[in-house]
Amino acid sequence: MTTESIAFTAILVFTAFGAVAAIALRDVLNAIVAFASFSFGISVAWVLLAAPDVALTEAAVGAGITTVFFLVTIAKTVRPGGDRLFERIKWRPAAVVAVLVGTLLATVGSLPAVGAADSPVATSPVTAYYLDNAYTETGVENAVTAVLAAYRGFDTLGEATVVIAAGVAVLLVLRQEAYV
Amino acid sequence: MSRSDSDGTYVESTIIMTTVRVVAPFVFAYGLFVMFHGADSAGGGFQGGVLVAAAVLLLAFAFGIDATRVWLEGPLTRAAITGGGAAFAFIGLGAVALEGAFLEYAAYGYGSTGTKYGIELVELGIGAVVSGVLVGLFFSLASGDFEPVADGADRDTDGDGTGGDGT
Repeated sequence: MTTESIAFTAILVFTAFGAVAAIALRDVLNAIVAFASFSFGISVAWVLLAAPDVALTEAAVGAGITTVFFLVTIAKTVRPGGDRLFERIKWRPAAVVAVLVGTLLATVGSLPAVGAADSPVATSPVTAYYLDNAYTETGVENAVTAVLAAYRGFDTLGEATVVIAAGVAVLLVLRQEAYV
Repeated sequence: MSRSDSDGTYVESTIIMTTVRVVAPFVFAYGLFVMFHGADSAGGGFQGGVLVAAAVLLLAFAFGIDATRVWLEGPLTRAAITGGGAAFAFIGLGAVALEGAFLEYAAYGYGSTGTKYGIELVELGIGAVVSGVLVGLFFSLASGDFEPVADGADRDTDGDGTGGDGT
């Protein structure tokens, strides 16, 4: 095994541990911290997979701001009491989760290997077009930004609209009449 | 600067306040950097906007949510959200007005340099939207009235976020 694959395996184990801990821990505060470490693990995995844009998003949104929102929310709610460290497992929901995980795992074998040169993404003429022309056509060095803001800018406008709509919807649901 | 928030969740801590005082400007500057420099390195409006919002949330954690809300009071957040969204849409529609396609930056006639600055402006607009919405979400969550309220009754009309019953 190369150093990189050892590091990747380690971070995947860490991530899986965080995910299981987030489910199993009984105290909500513990679960939130475990969930944040899960998001952090995912973000490091994106870095190792050479996807810094996604890694930055996962770190800022998943590990950062979502954790703060969860903390603010539990400060407003009542935590379940008791001394137990772990939540009791309910078997019927656990069975549903097991079926879902099993189904998803069954598809892993048909995915192309990480970085495979003959994967559909790498051989697609669209990918080649972006990589060849993004700099000369848009003048930006980050091809991801070129795709997001130029080639597929209309999609991005839709995303920004979704964010605005989410803000408005929360104000409506929480019946707040003052923003900030 | 309030010593305790309306629900008593805020506890003043010298360590947290000092740390945030030092760290928050750098988080804010890094957020702006990620927003502005997204065209040439990892990042962009969404990530930068989250970081800018995180700087505001840090201040709220250190100095109290109510105090930060008072500091932010005014049209700034709403202006960021609507202004950012409108800037994005108008940059797109401006290209249409100049007989290009929607968001066809080249229609403005500045070549690839113009395209790059157009993309930067769009990223800034996205950043303003995201940071504004996240800051608003935070204050809504932190002071939201989660009690089911009958229509028209007991609303938070005074806008102090404490709910009509003053708890």
